[in-house]
Amino acid sequence: MSTINPRVPAPYSQKRAIGKKIWNSKTLILMCLPAIIYFIAFSYAPLPGIYVAFVNYNYRKGIFGSPFIGLRNFDFVAKSGQLWTLTRNTIIFNLIFILLDNLLAVVVAILLKEIQSKAFRKVSQTMMFLPYFISQVLVGLLVFSLLNSDTGFLNVVLTKLGKEPLRLYKDGSAWPLIITLVHLWQKTGYNSVVYFAAIMGIDAAVIEASMIDGANGWQKIRYIILPSLRPTVVILILFALGGIVKGDFGLFWNLVGRNPTLYRSVDIIEMYVYRATVSDFNFSTASAVGLYQSLIGFILVLTVNTIVRKIEPDYSLF
Amino acid sequence: MKKFVALLMATLMVLSLCAVSSAEEISTANAAQVWADKWADVDTSNHVVINYMTTGDAPTTGANDEMLAQLNAILTDKVNAEINIVWISWTDYLANYNLRIAAMDGSIDLIGSSTDWLDAWPNAKRGGFLELTPDMLAKYAPVTYATVPQDHWDVCTYEGDIYFIPEDNYSQWTNHGFAYRLDWAKEAGLENGCQTWADLTTYVKYVKETYGNDLIAIWDADGTAYPASGYITSYKKWRAIDGLASGALWGGYLDDPYTINNLYLEETDLLVEYAKLMKEWDEIGAWPTDVLSNTGSDNRTEFRQGKTALEQHHTQTWTGLVSPKADSNNTMYETDEDADVGFYYWGKEAGYVTRDLVTHGVAAVSAASANPERTLMVYDLLRNDPDVYALFNYGLKDRTYAIDENGYRYTPDTYVSDNDSISTNWWWGRNDDLEIPSAAMNWYAINALYDEYDAIAVMYPYEAFVFDNTMVQSYINQCNEVYNEYMKYICFGQYDVTAEEIVAQFQDALRAAGADLVTEELQAQINATYGK
Repeated sequence: MSTINPRVPAPYSQKRAIGKKIWNSKTLILMCLPAIIYFIAFSYAPLPGIYVAFVNYNYRKGIFGSPFIGLRNFDFVAKSGQLWTLTRNTIIFNLIFILLDNLLAVVVAILLKEIQSKAFRKVSQTMMFLPYFISQVLVGLLVFSLLNSDTGFLNVVLTKLGKEPLRLYKDGSAWPLIITLVHLWQKTGYNSVVYFAAIMGIDAAVIEASMIDGANGWQKIRYIILPSLRPTVVILILFALGGIVKGDFGLFWNLVGRNPTLYRSVDIIEMYVYRATVSDFNFSTASAVGLYQSLIGFILVLTVNTIVRKIEPDYSLF
Repeated sequence: MKKFVALLMATLMVLSLCAVSSAEEISTANAAQVWADKWADVDTSNHVVINYMTTGDAPTTGANDEMLAQLNAILTDKVNAEINIVWISWTDYLANYNLRIAAMDGSIDLIGSSTDWLDAWPNAKRGGFLELTPDMLAKYAPVTYATVPQDHWDVCTYEGDIYFIPEDNYSQWTNHGFAYRLDWAKEAGLENGCQTWADLTTYVKYVKETYGNDLIAIWDADGTAYPASGYITSYKKWRAIDGLASGALWGGYLDDPYTINNLYLEETDLLVEYAKLMKEWDEIGAWPTDVLSNTGSDNRTEFRQGKTALEQHHTQTWTGLVSPKADSNNTMYETDEDADVGFYYWGKEAGYVTRDLVTHGVAAVSAASANPERTLMVYDLLRNDPDVYALFNYGLKDRTYAIDENGYRYTPDTYVSDNDSISTNWWWGRNDDLEIPSAAMNWYAINALYDEYDAIAVMYPYEAFVFDNTMVQSYINQCNEVYNEYMKYICFGQYDVTAEEIVAQFQDALRAAGADLVTEELQAQINATYGK
C-alpha cells in the first residue's frame, strides 16, 4: 500500500479543477467551438470511413459490410507505372507554389504597409484580392480567350503586327510557367492578407524606436518586420506542407484539361485519377488515392516539424 | 407522308386484329381492364409521392407545372400516388447521377437508366437497384410485364434477378455517324450525298473553300468525340461490347462475335489510314486549330443555325436536324431555303448497322425506395395508359401540342416555348403503341433512312452478357486513359510523328496498360455465357 501524499489532490478535486478551468475559459472555448465542431465533424468522425479504401463497396451492405479486398483498390495507380512521376510533379508544383506564394505575399504585404495613402492602399488591396473569387472554370476560359491560336487576344495582336502567332495550345513546354503565373495572379492578394495582419500586429513602439535610432526604411524591414514575420511564415509553410501531395485540380483541369499535348508536361495525381476513373464511379479507388496522399502529407508534416523543433523549438507546431 | 399514314393504319389494323383474335392476351389496348383486375386487392389507402429521377435540365414553364398537376390528379385517382421529377442536370451528369443513387436515402423511387450511356449494370451490381421478381412485376406492372417478351427480361437479369424494365417497344436508332449539309454536298458534285469517307473528305474540302469564311468552323469540335471506331467499322463488320470502357475497345467481328478482340490492336492498317485522313482534315482546317482545348463550343446549335457543316452524333439527333420545325434553333432553313441535312452512318460502306440495345433505355426502382410497389404501378401507367402517356410525353393538348386531321401531332400557333413547353425526359418507357407521330418531323427523309436500316440491320450480339469487371477494372481504367489520350492525337490529326508511328505508340501503350489481360478475361466470361 502506498502512502497518500496530501499534496496530490484527490481524483474528486482533480475533476473539479478541470471543471473550474473549463468554466473559467468558457468564453474562449465558446469562441473555439465552431472550429472544434468542424474538425470533429469533417476530420475525426469520418476517420473510420478510411476502411472504404480496402473494400469492394456495395451500397446496401455499407462500408463495413462490404467484402474486404485488401490493397486491390490501390492497384490501378500503382500499375500505371506513373505513380512516381505524378507524385513528383505534384510535389514540385506545390513546392514552387508554396515558396513563391509566401515570398510574394510577404513582399506585397510589406509594400502595402509602406503605402502612405490609405485610400490607395485599400484600392490596391481590393484589386489584388478580386481574382481569388473568380471561379477556376472562368479562369480557364479567360486564359483560352487570351492565348488560343485562332481568336486569342495575344495572337490577334501578334498577327496584326505581322508576327507569327504563338501556338501555345499545341506546345506543352510553356504550361508549367503559365500555370504558375495564373496561380500567383489568383492567390497572391489573398495570401498577403495574413502577412499584412501580422505586420499590423507588430508593436508600433518597436518600429518607432528603430526610427529614432536612425534606421532607414530598408533597415526597418530587414531588422524589424521580417524577423517578426518569421513565426507566421514557418507556421503557414508547415500547414501548406501537409497538403503538398494534393494538387490544385480546379486550376490544372481548367487550364490544360483534356488536352494531352499540354497535360503530359504538368500531369498531377488528381488529373490522372480523374481521367482514369471518371467513367468508373468508384468510391473505393478514390478513397485509396486520397489515403495515399494523406499518408505522404502526414509523414512530411511530421518530418518538417521535427526539423523545425530542432532549430527553433518555439516555432514548431507540436 | 401518305405512305407513312397508310403503313400506320395497316399496322393499327393488324394490331387490332391481334387484339380481337386473342382476347385473353394482355396489351396496351386492354390495359384498363387488366389494371382493374390485378390491382383490385392492392392497398393504396395512403397517398405517396413517387420521385422519378432523370437526366436533364429542369423546365421552368407554367405548362410543365400544369401538366404535372393534371397528371398527378389522374395518378391520385388511379393509384393514390403522385409523381415528382428529380432532375440531374447535364453538367457532370454521370457523377451526380451515380452519387444520387449511392446516397440510398429514399429520396428517389423510379430511376431512368441505360446500360450503354448511364451506368445501369454497375449500379445494379453495387446494390443501388431493387431486384424485381416476376411476381412483383406481374402484380404491380402487369401490362408491362406481359408485353415485354421473356428474352428481353433475360437481358435485364443478372445472377437470376431482374434489375430493370427495358424500353423495348420504341423505334429509334442511336447508331452514330456524321450529319452534314446535303445541299452543300450536292454543290460539291456529290449528287447522292456522302456515300464514303472519301466523299466526306471532298465535302469538307469544298465547304472549307466555298463557305469557310462564313462558318465558325466546319466542325466546331471540342476534341472529345472519337470517330476512329466509326471509320474502321465502316469497312469491317465489327461490334463493340457496350458499357465496358469509354471507347469501343473490345468486341468481335459479326461473323464470329464470340471471339473477342481489341479493335485497335486488330485493325492496324485501317487505323493508320484513318490517322492519315484526319491529318489531312486537320490541314484542310476542318476544326479549330486548338481543337483539344476548344471546350466552350456548342457545335450542334451552331449546325442548326448554319454556322458549322458537320455534326457527329446518332440518327435520332439527325432526325431533329433534318426536320426544319423540330427545333426552334433550326434557323439554317430560314436563312438558306435550299438547306438540307444528310447522314453518313458508320457501317454504310460495309452495308450494316446494329439495332439498338433493348437496354439503351431502362427503368429501375431504387433499392432504398419506400414504395417499390406503387413505383411499379405508376410506371405501368406512364408506359401504357393513353391519357397519362400523352400528358407525360407531349404535354397539354391544344397548348403544348395539337392533333391535325390526319392524326399527326403539331405545334399550335399560340405556342410560345418559354411558357408552353414541357419536359419530362421520359426515355425509359416510351411505347410505339401510344406514340402520336409528329407533323414537324421530315418523315419522308426519316422513313427513307429507316427503311435503308431495316434492310441491313443486325442484332446486337452481346445483349445477354453482363461483365463482371472486378478482376480487371484497374486495367480497363488504364486503357481508358490511354485511349482518351491517343484518340485525341489520332482523331484530330494532332501528332508530329508519322501515322504509322503514332498508331504503334498507341498500341504499345494499350498493351502496357493491360489490354490483352482484359481481352482474355472477357473471352473467358463470354465463353461461360455463350457456352463457346
